[in-house]
Amino acid sequence: MLSIKNLHASIDGKEILKGINLEIKEGEVHAIMGPNGSGKSTLAAVLAGRSEYDVTEGEIIYNGKNLLELEAEDRAREGVFLAFQYPVEIPGVSNINFLKTAIGEIRAYKGLEPIKAKDFLMMLKEKQELVEIDRALVRRSINEGFSGGEKKRNEIFQMAMLEPKLSILDETDSGLDIDALRIVANGVNKLKSEENATIIITHYQRLLDYIIPDFVHILHNGKIVKSGLKELALELEEKGYDFIKEEVEA
Amino acid sequence: METVIKTRTIKDKLIFEFENSKLFLFGSTQLRDNAMESFYKQGIPTRKHEEYKYTRVDLMLKGEFDFSTNKNCSDAQIQPLKFLKDAYVVVIENGVFVEGSSNVENLPKGLTVCSLVDAEKSNSPVFEKHYAQYADVKTDPFIALNTAMTKDGAFIHIAKNVIIEKPIHIIHISTTSVNTIIHPRNLIVIDENAQAKIIESFETISATAKTVSNALTEIVVDKNAIVDHYKIQDEKELGYLVNTTQVIQQRQSVFSTHTFTLSGSLVRNNLTVVLDDEHIESHLNGLYLTVGNQVVDNHTVVDHRKPNCNSNELYKGIIEGKSTATFNGKIFVRKDAQKTNAFQSNKNILLSLAGTINTKPQLEIYADDVKCSHGSTTGKLDEAKIFYLRARGIGLVNAKKLLMHAFASEVVNTIKIEALREYVEEKISKTFE
Amino acid sequence: MNEVIEEKISAEYKYGFVTDIDADNAPKGLNEDIIRFISAKKNEPEWMLVYRLEAFRHWLTMEEPDWAHVSYQKPDFQEIIYYSAPKPKKVLKSLDEVDPELLKTFQKLGISILEQERLSGVESRVAIDVIVDSVSVKTTFKETLAEKGIIFCSFGEAIQEHPELVQKYMSSVVPSSDNFFAALNSAVFTDGSFCYIPKGVRCPMELSTYFRIEAAGTGQFERTLIIAEEGSQVSYLEGCTAPMRDENQLHAAVVELVAHKNAQIKYSTVQNWYPGDKEGKGGVFNFVTKRGICLEENAKISWTQVETGSAITWKYPSVILKGDNSIGEFYSVAVTNNYQQADTGTKMIHIGKNTKSTIISKGISAGFSNNSYRGLVRIAKGAENARNFSQCDSLLMGDQCGAHTFPYIEIKNNTAVVEHEATTSKIGEDQLFYCKQRGIDNEKAIGLIVNGYCKDVLSQLPMEFAVEAQKLLEVSLEGSVG
Repeated sequence: MLSIKNLHASIDGKEILKGINLEIKEGEVHAIMGPNGSGKSTLAAVLAGRSEYDVTEGEIIYNGKNLLELEAEDRAREGVFLAFQYPVEIPGVSNINFLKTAIGEIRAYKGLEPIKAKDFLMMLKEKQELVEIDRALVRRSINEGFSGGEKKRNEIFQMAMLEPKLSILDETDSGLDIDALRIVANGVNKLKSEENATIIITHYQRLLDYIIPDFVHILHNGKIVKSGLKELALELEEKGYDFIKEEVEA
Repeated sequence: METVIKTRTIKDKLIFEFENSKLFLFGSTQLRDNAMESFYKQGIPTRKHEEYKYTRVDLMLKGEFDFSTNKNCSDAQIQPLKFLKDAYVVVIENGVFVEGSSNVENLPKGLTVCSLVDAEKSNSPVFEKHYAQYADVKTDPFIALNTAMTKDGAFIHIAKNVIIEKPIHIIHISTTSVNTIIHPRNLIVIDENAQAKIIESFETISATAKTVSNALTEIVVDKNAIVDHYKIQDEKELGYLVNTTQVIQQRQSVFSTHTFTLSGSLVRNNLTVVLDDEHIESHLNGLYLTVGNQVVDNHTVVDHRKPNCNSNELYKGIIEGKSTATFNGKIFVRKDAQKTNAFQSNKNILLSLAGTINTKPQLEIYADDVKCSHGSTTGKLDEAKIFYLRARGIGLVNAKKLLMHAFASEVVNTIKIEALREYVEEKISKTFE
Repeated sequence: MNEVIEEKISAEYKYGFVTDIDADNAPKGLNEDIIRFISAKKNEPEWMLVYRLEAFRHWLTMEEPDWAHVSYQKPDFQEIIYYSAPKPKKVLKSLDEVDPELLKTFQKLGISILEQERLSGVESRVAIDVIVDSVSVKTTFKETLAEKGIIFCSFGEAIQEHPELVQKYMSSVVPSSDNFFAALNSAVFTDGSFCYIPKGVRCPMELSTYFRIEAAGTGQFERTLIIAEEGSQVSYLEGCTAPMRDENQLHAAVVELVAHKNAQIKYSTVQNWYPGDKEGKGGVFNFVTKRGICLEENAKISWTQVETGSAITWKYPSVILKGDNSIGEFYSVAVTNNYQQADTGTKMIHIGKNTKSTIISKGISAGFSNNSYRGLVRIAKGAENARNFSQCDSLLMGDQCGAHTFPYIEIKNNTAVVEHEATTSKIGEDQLFYCKQRGIDNEKAIGLIVNGYCKDVLSQLPMEFAVEAQKLLEVSLEGSVG
């Protein structure tokens, strides 16, 4: 589904990603862990198409298409979903109206008929229950006045509504207390299928107790320096990131 | 010329007591001497001090006071105050940690709960790193006084990545039979990616004399940590409380604090939350119910020092009789703190003509890309709503109670520990009787 | 006293005043002769001339105010033409003669001034008074309204036909000495709309005035007076446009509303005067005094405005809540883009008991513009149980523009409940990228955001205007972000 080859990216002339290689197949869950500043969020931003980042080398092939040639909105329409680390607030625009517009645009892109109002409302109700989000939040303006935890839960709700093929969860666990973390993980697990794939970007191991990854990659200084199975995350938590730094620099 | 012989002021007495009891006091000599010097310079605030102009702490300190602290009450008396059945409990009686009454055995890995005295004795590096680092003696005379004269309190530490799901309950009890001034002090440190729920309650048992509690708690919330903090202040007529809470938050942490002032002759809360890094979230909630001649004063400071943080403040009050409630909410948005979101709301219901409300939102914004709002309302119970309820057969008294409950519930519902929420709800119902 | 002044003025009138009654335009500049010219041209009664000259003399003693948060080259009041009647061929006998461009504008506004079309349609009907360069050219539906006893006509006509009403109410809300621009207007206004709803009548259709500045170098000084008698109701719409011109044009209007016991007046404005070009050249200076009074109990006045035009806007539609239980409302969206400047808001003066007011102000600034909210809430000593709720939100698009909020709250009665909320938010790259990541492109995203932000105000507009106002907002913000 996704093939990243020798990806180099920089911002304001400063190179952040220094040759990333990653293969992701349908149905897989990949965790990307790393210390602050290792390039985790940059990778998410480059995949989603943030224009501040310059891709200087390498390629990203997504379902046979050159992802780097697509505009940000077209990537979204092709099924790439980014759950933001810091979701922005958009005053005055209700979640419902926002999602209706987004679904409308995505369907138009695919040449599909607009969704019927009745079907949309059914879907809204169904997904609300699936990810256990408060109805009142759904009716409010996007993220406006939401607590950090509520914003993260809203991201997962949007993910449920837009039914993406590739979901990138950028530090979705930060700011969530343990109860909220369980609910969010539960939602993500329910949305998993044989057809879609998930990338979990996280600094801590805790989320991976609840969403079990198939593969764990450790990002350090813009490169994946170690890959392994889920046990790698535990090892990392126990020994701390310094051990990776020492291992790499040794 | 006539010579005037001045009676000794409370300030003189405090200094005298400080010099006399040095051996029993807590903390390093240098720290205490420095704090006392600072107190000496500041003095007891009078109404001329801008920060204390609505609350006469000088009058509170009139009269004779004893400075010794004794244990007076039995475990059986303390038992009802342990209203959370499933919690780690720390009992501080008249400012001193009482191990026998506390429930701190079999602590899980990563949780430390002990007295400040023990924490110092054991040379805890966490204690040494954080003790008296955040509440600045120069900013407030009560901070100075506490730092100089505290004898004990609780030390709580939660290690990195550890989640403590059971609440930790600190019970402050005053049980004195002579007028007393005490200075309990707590240090709470929550390390990176850890989570905890802390409750501080303030009570009086069998007290027959006035107790002035000058309590201070410092809370350190490290990176990515999530902390829920509650204060339940219920000290009855003889209780006078100055309660300083000083919080420092690190990157991506979430701190929520909830202050419920249910009784006490005079309660002054000084709550300061410093957002010292990016992507921090802070919630400050408060509810005060004042009756009779009670004085309740909430001073809060939210200090946004770095970009991309959120703070949200909601304080509500119901004022009856000749009581006075003050809310002074300061929000600093420092020059670097771009993209700050800071919200503040203070709502009051004034039930009597003789009651007084002073509300003063203060926004000091030095960054240009920020979203801040403040709102403040003071009003009576809505006559139209009361009439509506009466028209449905609900009597006047109950109609009023119902509306007051509805008003308070916005704050009460922010309590995440169910047993605590029920306890507070019950207390509120009693107040409305 | 009045007699003395009257005598003096009429005495002066005997000297040296020569009117070229055939001229269409007054010469440039302003002096008493010009005022006499205007008055004579309009064949006004003596008391009108007295009123004008009194206002003019007061104006001479006043200084142009500079407390507003706007900066501009003050107009040279001697360079303005104060009277410009449309060319003879434009004096319209039937609607067929209306400038097709004008009709097109109306179509755009979703409003037809063709009565027949309206009558046969199912849409709600709108009666319109069209004012081009200070002169009323057409008032529709007059007869239908007359059946109910409603008077809806040009101001000039009202002076001729209903002098007792004009004399009773004109300047009863905005005294001619109220402020610099109101005094100027009182001296030189040439036309405007007049509307009277008799006791107990609910006006069956929206009343509307459409203003247009056509001729170059002309000032537009119209005056509107609406009187709602006991128990009556009226909804009134005002639309404004001007063609593009390099020089600044001055618009200084006065609007007065009088609501008697249990009466309701809803006044809506969609202002789209020419804002000047992208470099800030040209555009209309819009200095308007709008004020209503709830004279007796249970009266209600509601102002709704969508302001997208003008180079400078200086406007504070206000309500004096004199009657007990009376209600004042102000809903406003003010958009500034490029180099536009707006200083707008409201005044709610609570005098009666149990009076209520609501202020919802939404400012949007883009480009290099500056947008200020300035509002006063005053609770007078006797205003027991007065309530006010104010919400002032600012939305910044980009980082070269400015938003400012100046609330003034004066409370003299402690039973008052006054709530004030203010927010400032910014739409930038982050919000747009978030939308893109959900499959929504920039243009759609801005539409979503702006309409969402303004919906509390737009929903107050009559249907006819709401859709147009929404489009107008999108058009005025085109290309402002990203």
